[in-house]
Amino acid sequence: METDFLIQTLSSIVAAAAPVVLASIGETISEKSGVINLSLDGSIALSAMTGFAVAFTSGSVALGILAAMAVGALVALIIAFASISLRQEQVAVGFVLTMLCLELADFLGNPFVRKPGPSVPHAPIPYLSEVPVLGPILFDHNLIVYLSFLSVVAAWWWIYRTQPGLKLQGVGERPESAFARGVNVNRLRYIYTVVGGALVGLAGASYSLSIKLGWSHRHTFGIGWIALAIVIFGGWDPWRVVAGSYLFGLLKALGSVLQRNPAFASVPTQIFSSAPFALMIFALLLLSSEGLDRLLALLPSRLARRIDRVIRGRPPAGLGRPFVQE
Amino acid sequence: MSKRLWSLIGILVIAALVLAACKPSPPPPPPPTEEPTEAPTEEPTEESTPEEFVFGVILVGPYNDHGWSEAHYTAAEYVTEKLPNATFIYMDKLNPADRPETTLEQVVDDMVSQGAKVIFTTSDDFMEDTDRAAEKYPDITFIHISGDHVLTGQAPSNVGNYMGRMEYGKMIAGCTAALATETGTIGYVGPLINFETRRLAASAYLGARYCYEHYRGMDPDNLRFIVTWIGFWFNIPGVTLDPTEVSNDLINEGADVLISGIDTTEALVVVGQRAAQGERVFAIPYDYEHACDEAPEVCLGVPYFNWGPGYLEQVQAVVGGTWEQEWVWAGPDWSDINSPDTSAIGFLRGPALSEEWSAQVDEFIAGLADGSINLFVGPLNYQDGTPFLAEGEVATDEQIWYMEQLLEGMEGPSE
Repeated sequence: METDFLIQTLSSIVAAAAPVVLASIGETISEKSGVINLSLDGSIALSAMTGFAVAFTSGSVALGILAAMAVGALVALIIAFASISLRQEQVAVGFVLTMLCLELADFLGNPFVRKPGPSVPHAPIPYLSEVPVLGPILFDHNLIVYLSFLSVVAAWWWIYRTQPGLKLQGVGERPESAFARGVNVNRLRYIYTVVGGALVGLAGASYSLSIKLGWSHRHTFGIGWIALAIVIFGGWDPWRVVAGSYLFGLLKALGSVLQRNPAFASVPTQIFSSAPFALMIFALLLLSSEGLDRLLALLPSRLARRIDRVIRGRPPAGLGRPFVQE
Repeated sequence: MSKRLWSLIGILVIAALVLAACKPSPPPPPPPTEEPTEAPTEEPTEESTPEEFVFGVILVGPYNDHGWSEAHYTAAEYVTEKLPNATFIYMDKLNPADRPETTLEQVVDDMVSQGAKVIFTTSDDFMEDTDRAAEKYPDITFIHISGDHVLTGQAPSNVGNYMGRMEYGKMIAGCTAALATETGTIGYVGPLINFETRRLAASAYLGARYCYEHYRGMDPDNLRFIVTWIGFWFNIPGVTLDPTEVSNDLINEGADVLISGIDTTEALVVVGQRAAQGERVFAIPYDYEHACDEAPEVCLGVPYFNWGPGYLEQVQAVVGGTWEQEWVWAGPDWSDINSPDTSAIGFLRGPALSEEWSAQVDEFIAGLADGSINLFVGPLNYQDGTPFLAEGEVATDEQIWYMEQLLEGMEGPSE
């Protein structure tokens, strides 16, 4: 019974983290190329709404997912255009787009509020889902959850193990050098921003078609900001980003599990509900503070360097900076 | 350079325009059909306008939340159906997450300037602010839903309180849950913790115990009843737990029936999803008569508020000049708890309720109606074991209203 509960809880966390994983991996890809897509929160809402609306109207979940990805990609394209071609401040454009998309989603989504609609069918993977413990936790989900796993592996492999991935790192770190070696910096930035946006769109679809079915007011509210924070928390590294996403999921799950534990009966319930967000901010502060440097300085320098490399990532050097071709 | 600048300005302007078009700015968005300022154009003659009566409704959630707020919105529509010369204006989503910049007083100012004579403030959250607004506008009648300031004497004389006796609805919900459970575990998705939410969760528990014992023949002490509080009436990330996750968690914990106590329908949707994956689970949503619609196949039924008759009574009293300050706790019409014109609360059965269970629910309701079943009778202890009602003691309204804790046997925090 107790182990059943643990397995089911972990399984729920894995499923619930899918949108965070997808969005933060998408954002990692854009930022690796040097473009900050700050519109995540709005982009996820608008794609979640569109995905549900299209699936609801057409009856096809696949169409819904595609539409959501198209919306995510489109928003990213606007960011890319404004920041790469118009050389405007990425953060400002992203922020305006966040607001715009949130309101648009709310406004256009009104006819679909709290309507029952289609959802991504549950699809346990044959054989794998039968494996004890790991099977139910990882392989007893639906397509979107599997895609969230896949996105991590694919992003890591592409960025760190392929030739084009090297170019991607180049345009994000040292666009001038990349350009000198014949890389079309701005074209690559366009491509990766849009690809990242499509993943963000998929994150939206995973909300309305998989983990929180349907559409309602502020359906996905807040999750985009968390994904943005996790990218920083994860140091622009897919594996650490996914670890951050699951950590956040775990913290959220603890909120309700601990609440009914008699040992915590005297703790005000508000603490549990706001703790994941507060802890996330705390972790971010800790990782980026100078206090950590001081703490690490106490350790033997070789160990300190290794820990520092594991827990802290550096942003791509060209992040947020438009590349001007001389 | 200037060309680029202009493009950006262009984007921003378009963005701002779309924003302005989409976002109903803080003054209340006029309801599509009840636009009060349109009335004169419909009836151009001067004589007909004095008869027009405007009332306002202030909602905490979206007007289409399929829950608490929608039930109030529906009631306002009911009043305008019954009183053709009445129109209403409303403001929804008045809560810190959606409109951090708007206060109840601002909304009231606006409604009064639009001619509202009665204003319904429909959240526990609006209690203090309603009193303050009422002091500012002594000629306007305020009805604060779910409050007790009339009872405690704190309210200005132009404030009335109105609430439905949902305790009965929750007892029926609890009973239904106990009939359906096979794991012997019922999960309750609670909002924030206060007197109201405690007594409603406790009522569901009492109903569940009764039916588990009397209709199932099981020992009610073996029935698990787990309450998880999300922290507000609906999901606000960073403030509340996510009700979707809480519902999943309760099912993981072994609950096979979820009773919702929050304003929105996440519990029902999650249960529908888990059932689609092959689990045997049921849900009982809350507040709104048609809440089952989102996942009818797993819905056992819904205890709902029928605010219409109460709203109508209050508005008519003000129109007729007979309104008096009162604390109203309106019960069901026991001859037909689903009567739209007389019953303040009801219980609408869902498609998942079997005929056998339905017959037992009938019996339970009949028992509540004729008084042969009274669940708030001692001995009953609070959660920590301190006595709530002594042996044979029948709870008064005030004892029920002001329950200090959950009851002994319920799992979950009491404060």
